[in-house]
Amino acid sequence: MTQRFFRSFIVGFVLATAWPSLVLGQPVKWPSSSPPRPLPAHEARFPPYQVKTLPNGMSVVVVVHTEQPAVSVRLILRAGGAQDPAGKSGLAAMVATLLDQGTATRTAQQVADTIDSAGGRLETGAGRDLSFANVTVMKDSLDLGIGLLADVVRCPAFAQEELDRQRRQVVAALRVSYQDPAYVANVVFDRLVYGLHPYGFPRNGTPESVETLTREDLVQFHRRHYAPNNSILAVVGDLTVDEAMAAVTKAFGDWPRQEIPADPVAELPKPAKRIVVLDKPDAVQTEIRMGQIGIPRKNGDFMAVDLAIKILGGEGANRLHRVLRTERGLTYSASAGFDVLKKSGEFVAQTNTRSDATAEVLGLMMEEFWRLRRDRVNDVELSDAKAYLTGHFPLTIETPDEIATQILDVLFYELPVEELQTFRQRVNAVGVDDVERVAAKYLQPDRLSVVLVGNSATFLGQLKRVGFKSVDVIRLSDLDLTAPDFTRKNLADAAAKTGRRP
Amino acid sequence: MAVLALLTALLPAAAAVRPPKMNYEMVRLPNGLTVVLLEDHSTPIVHAQVWYHVGSKDERSGRTGFAHLFEHLMFKGSKNVQPEEHLAMISGVGGQANAYTTEDVTVFWETVPSQYLPLILWLEADRMASLRIDKATFERERQVVKEERRMRVDNAPYGSLSEVIYGQAFTVHPYQHTTIGSMRDLDAASVEDVRDFYRTYYVPGNATLALVGDIDPKQALALITQYLGAVPPSDRTIPRDIPKEPEQEQERRVSLKENWPLPVVVVAYHVTFDGHPDSYPLHMAAKLLSDGQSSRIYRALVYEKGLALTAFGNGNIVEDPNLFFAVAIVQPGHSPDEVERALVAELDRLRNDPVTDHELQRVKNQFARDYIVGRESNQQKAMQLAHAIVVHKGDVTTADGEFEIFMNTTAADVQRVARTYFTPQNRTVLTVLPGR
Repeated sequence: MTQRFFRSFIVGFVLATAWPSLVLGQPVKWPSSSPPRPLPAHEARFPPYQVKTLPNGMSVVVVVHTEQPAVSVRLILRAGGAQDPAGKSGLAAMVATLLDQGTATRTAQQVADTIDSAGGRLETGAGRDLSFANVTVMKDSLDLGIGLLADVVRCPAFAQEELDRQRRQVVAALRVSYQDPAYVANVVFDRLVYGLHPYGFPRNGTPESVETLTREDLVQFHRRHYAPNNSILAVVGDLTVDEAMAAVTKAFGDWPRQEIPADPVAELPKPAKRIVVLDKPDAVQTEIRMGQIGIPRKNGDFMAVDLAIKILGGEGANRLHRVLRTERGLTYSASAGFDVLKKSGEFVAQTNTRSDATAEVLGLMMEEFWRLRRDRVNDVELSDAKAYLTGHFPLTIETPDEIATQILDVLFYELPVEELQTFRQRVNAVGVDDVERVAAKYLQPDRLSVVLVGNSATFLGQLKRVGFKSVDVIRLSDLDLTAPDFTRKNLADAAAKTGRRP
Repeated sequence: MAVLALLTALLPAAAAVRPPKMNYEMVRLPNGLTVVLLEDHSTPIVHAQVWYHVGSKDERSGRTGFAHLFEHLMFKGSKNVQPEEHLAMISGVGGQANAYTTEDVTVFWETVPSQYLPLILWLEADRMASLRIDKATFERERQVVKEERRMRVDNAPYGSLSEVIYGQAFTVHPYQHTTIGSMRDLDAASVEDVRDFYRTYYVPGNATLALVGDIDPKQALALITQYLGAVPPSDRTIPRDIPKEPEQEQERRVSLKENWPLPVVVVAYHVTFDGHPDSYPLHMAAKLLSDGQSSRIYRALVYEKGLALTAFGNGNIVEDPNLFFAVAIVQPGHSPDEVERALVAELDRLRNDPVTDHELQRVKNQFARDYIVGRESNQQKAMQLAHAIVVHKGDVTTADGEFEIFMNTTAADVQRVARTYFTPQNRTVLTVLPGR
């Protein structure tokens, strides 16, 4: 501890030399002191939980947590946007949206009235690899809550009228999202990183793809992917394991097991250097994403890679934050993350900055990617990143939902359940050599995908200076996320006819 | 009798499950610091929140955004802590820390493994007693806050909606401006402002510490006294001469253009302050209008008529009288006029007809849920306790006690407050159309 604080002191001192500090305190002597010693530590262990499997193949996790008289039930299905058929992006999301919009025995308004009257909450949605339905109820409404959850997951009506209604909502919402620089940067980045692999397409679809979704598409998706042997259920809260299992069996025990179709094999692209600029002339800031394809969660190098990316831009270290915010005041927020998926993952650094600082920030970010690969990380940075993760562990087991999330994660990614108990040992096992090895193996700073959303006139001329000679510029209003060149087809055709780039 | 029994069967059951009471302890130190402690050993972590009773409503004219800018400066070093070191020390033990500023308060918080309780108390005491800012740091942080404004307000669709609403609905009270402030005022802030603000508001008598988690209250209080108790008291009086907003006498109607994708309609009413007897039925009205897909505004505007992409009604019920507003983003194919009529119709309905027993019970059950699931983490509990103390004038009992008030609110109460506040002369109707 003492050593750490001493080092920080040196850094701070060097930074502060140029200006005399202004002491703002009360005109009373405040003594010099050092950080106090910690109290004796109390041991933190991952809380007890049960994992069971119903005869129909459904995995069930139970976590007993009696502090508040509530129960939450979370169902995960192993199918999401990655299972959307070609041209039908947004299908998994639309299926999830319609789950609570009417069942074989309840109208949409009856579903809403049932859950609201009980003072509960019901949520459904889809990610790239999974779909989910969650219900939270007070403990005396467990049967009502889990019964309703089973009804919406097993027997959704997919009424045409409800599909049309939700389609209108989604299309209008996308219209708003397409003017939101952060949204556009994220979805274009995914397309750049994953190409035409299903992971590359937006979860909520595009205005065009959502228009093509039919009731039959929804019914088919639900029939193929929604099955007990394709799902994991977590029951968490103020109840006993027996009560939980009885309620689960009653609601889901007679859901018949079925064959789950294998995913079609889709090639993941290799990283390639490409920069795409989305021109939004009224922007006052440029939204920046930079990164490349990573590794799947199950890869044995996961922990070392995760620490490397944390040094680049995560809690406990965060070079990007220091370089861009602390030292230069160029942004409010700069970070890097490692988003993991079942079959892949991505490294992404993100920030936003005033339009005229775009090229400067881009150059600084590029250099940080190079530095991570080129230079061995120093012991201090790595131990800071590790200290954050190991020290943080007890903060991740505070609420029942946080506990359940970790168990669901392990089951979903088919990792050994022992990993829940060995987290700190696994973090501590990573050394500087490991970080150096994985940085060399997985980071390719000469092949980064970059997205800029902003007022291109203010920075386009400066991109060459930071190493980007060839730039694709697309007007925001022409954006088509399904086209290889990101440009709406009819515009590209028109441009070809007139011999002019759109 | 049979009919009555049938009707009763159709009512949602009354909330039988009650939120557990918080078993806290409250102390005032000789230097004026208010302390509230709550023991909870379920996880070996501790959470601290320091609330300073100063927010953007305390800013003087020409210095909007200053309270929030100052919040940033509190991470820039004090006598024994170097710039950036506060956060580095917290993350170095696996903890998390952050801060936020509202109209009324500025809140700093840390969560750490419980053995590091002395560290967080030492850190909070050091910056309460001996903040120091060098000029270069101040200039850089000003740029950071301007980027924050660009990100949250200027560059995001609908990002400046609150600014537009408050700018139109208030004439005198500083709620007229939002917490982020204007670029011009951020540029105008000086080091003298920093010094004056710090000495006036960042004093023990204007602060409340809420500490929740794996603590021994006796030991914790001794540590609090050792570190925060040593911060000298202040003899300055804290100015509370905030101008009162005069009663609005006639409806205001405003139409503007912004470069947003779809039109937006806002119907806003001036309402009372947090803790006033009318505030509880107003919270219930917000839930009737907008909690869940069976709520009135969702059902009418979004579900049945398809008028709105999103629509809700909510009260921003805070320390001084603020606004209750209904907002809708207009679906393509519909007009702002239609949407305005539909929103006003829902607010008028609350005035004209008593809510049904069924809806009233639904809302009470939703409140019970909020109480229960809103107290799962130490941070949530600390927030409930500190809010009660700071905003309810020291009455910490309201943290638990308001539950009974909600459960005892009647349909007549809701109708009465709707009639009091949701009147045409008290209304501001704002339409924002796409375009420049």
